[in-house]
Amino acid sequence: MLELLDLRRTFGATVALDGLTMRVPRGQVFGFVGVNGAGKTTAMRIVLGVLAPDSGQVRWEGSPVDAQVRARIGYMPEERGLYPKMRVRDHLVYLARLHGASTATAAASAERWMAALGVAERAGDRVEALSLGNQQRVQLAAALVHDPEVLVLDEPFSGLDPVGVDVLASVLRQRVDDGAALVFSSHQLELVERLCDAVGIIRAGRLVASGTVEELRGHGRQRRLEVEVEGTDRWAAELAGVRVVDRAGAALVLDLADGTRPDDVLAAALRAGRLVRFTPVQPSLAELFREAVLA
Amino acid sequence: MSPTAAGSREPGAGGFWATVRLVGRREFVERVRDRSFLISTVVSGVILVAVIVLPRLFQGDNTVHVVFRGPDAGAVAAAAERQAEAAGLHLKVVAPSTSAAADAQRARNGDVDALLDGATVLSKDTPDPALLGVLEAAHRQVLDAKTLAAQGIDPAKVGATLDVAPLRVETATSSDPRSGQRRGVAFFATIVLYGQIIGYGFWVATGVVEEKSSRVVEVLLATVRPRALLTGKIIGIGLLGLAQLLLLGVAAVTAAAVTGGLDITPDVVGVLGIVVGWFLLGYSFYASLFAAAASRVSRQEDVQNVTTPMTMLLLVSFFAAIYAANSPSSLGAAVLSVVPPFSALVCPPRVAAGTMPAGQLVLAVALMVLAVVLLVRVAARLYEGAILRTGGRVPWREAWRGAGR
Repeated sequence: MLELLDLRRTFGATVALDGLTMRVPRGQVFGFVGVNGAGKTTAMRIVLGVLAPDSGQVRWEGSPVDAQVRARIGYMPEERGLYPKMRVRDHLVYLARLHGASTATAAASAERWMAALGVAERAGDRVEALSLGNQQRVQLAAALVHDPEVLVLDEPFSGLDPVGVDVLASVLRQRVDDGAALVFSSHQLELVERLCDAVGIIRAGRLVASGTVEELRGHGRQRRLEVEVEGTDRWAAELAGVRVVDRAGAALVLDLADGTRPDDVLAAALRAGRLVRFTPVQPSLAELFREAVLA
Repeated sequence: MSPTAAGSREPGAGGFWATVRLVGRREFVERVRDRSFLISTVVSGVILVAVIVLPRLFQGDNTVHVVFRGPDAGAVAAAAERQAEAAGLHLKVVAPSTSAAADAQRARNGDVDALLDGATVLSKDTPDPALLGVLEAAHRQVLDAKTLAAQGIDPAKVGATLDVAPLRVETATSSDPRSGQRRGVAFFATIVLYGQIIGYGFWVATGVVEEKSSRVVEVLLATVRPRALLTGKIIGIGLLGLAQLLLLGVAAVTAAAVTGGLDITPDVVGVLGIVVGWFLLGYSFYASLFAAAASRVSRQEDVQNVTTPMTMLLLVSFFAAIYAANSPSSLGAAVLSVVPPFSALVCPPRVAAGTMPAGQLVLAVALMVLAVVLLVRVAARLYEGAILRTGGRVPWREAWRGAGR
């Protein structure tokens, strides 16, 4: 389990992290979402020791993260970075060696990951000669080449085409199923919703919500209905515990306050006229996210 | 489709020096493979060898060609040859042509160095004073011999009597006949030393900025300590500079030896050893400074700006070294050859000239080592504080405070 415990960090007058705590067990894909400047990148850099926290601690399997542990973390920084003039294979071998792999292990691992990410035929080319999409794949290979147990990836999907997204998603899933812990940040919330076992929403340096997407939906929030009654759209305006938040064609989108039961709404709709449609709606992660960060 | 981790787990990253070795080897190997390195090595080698060989080709050896005419031409020529040999001048007697006018023309054109016709010397430019002295003496010797012979004295005896060896020269400053060639070696060595330190120091600077501008530094620092990265980079590039220096040194000494300008004696080897030693010290000093300065900026365009103080310091050292080579016994040369970092360039020419007492040399090396040790620590801290800060130029003060954050 990777644990971030009460991390605090300021930059001058700016508070980047304000007591961030989160936990990612092995075998879990943890999506880390938040608006720009919420503290995601700062948190990840602290996990890697690239940045020191003012206070708080990062632990892996119960003990503080040190150089030995960091050698088993795979990191993809928000700002991509490789030596532009180095050859792809040499680069991956070099990074694996820096993480403590032997020459033979590093070479074998570089070949495996180049093949897995579809850049094997570019092994002898300089990084700068590759397209941006392929450079991105090499960057991922660089994060994975030492077979890390913990993956910390900052926006790993940005810049990838849909095929690249699928390749990366399956590669990461495989790593996690093999027992790795994965934290990644993304602004592509549909992707996060699709891939993640758990999601953390960070706002102003604190975790404001976390859990599975299912838990976030049910967690003390209004349920949502789409209801259409023929000939009227005014029937719900006076209804207690119900708020009209939107219209979807002729239907009203209703948020139900805590304690309001869907069958009360159904009864009211039936009284108002002929019922055309009555559909419970699952809010998307994007909607949950907006609520969480705007609340 | 994903590879598995089975059996590929290593026990974690190596220690500081294991990392330094990996980083250093990358710097060395990647740069050796770079075509620009090969080209720069060949170009410097060619320039250096050319500087050594070309003057000898144009100047030729110190052979002078002289035509002798007149009634006593044969006797004067023979006397001149003896005189020239004693004076260290290689005189070649050119057979006269059929007419005096043709020989005069050859002298005016400079085809021969001089024409001695009776009591007249004809040449294109003012003749070399040494040559003129030889001709003057030979002419007088023959005339004197004739005069004496006319009075009944045996010309052979006269010749022997009048053949006087030239004066032997002794000076107060240097009686060491090999100091000249040592100083020649030191002169070239100073130029090469300056070139190597500034070139490789600058390479360290651009290497630091390359890592910053390409952002690869954040990937590296996730597993490598900044000091190990800095140390590896400086050592790797320094070994490359050392290898190139040795290569250039061998090329230059070989060229000089082959063209006959240099005898490879133990003291020449000693001077070369001093040069290599000072390269290591000087490079360590400046490379640390270059690295610390470069870590403040994120774009290659800014490297020139932040490294200006170091290049100025090197340039001043270089001129001080030229000055010291010309007046190795002066007080200024004595002071600058001991004070770091000037000593890196000023010390070798003084040692070569034989004017540096062993005590001063030991002091100079000790002070420089001390300076390097202190500077490496300061530079490492500045580097650590600035290396992850991107954007504009990081002020020195913030770099100093930023370390470990």
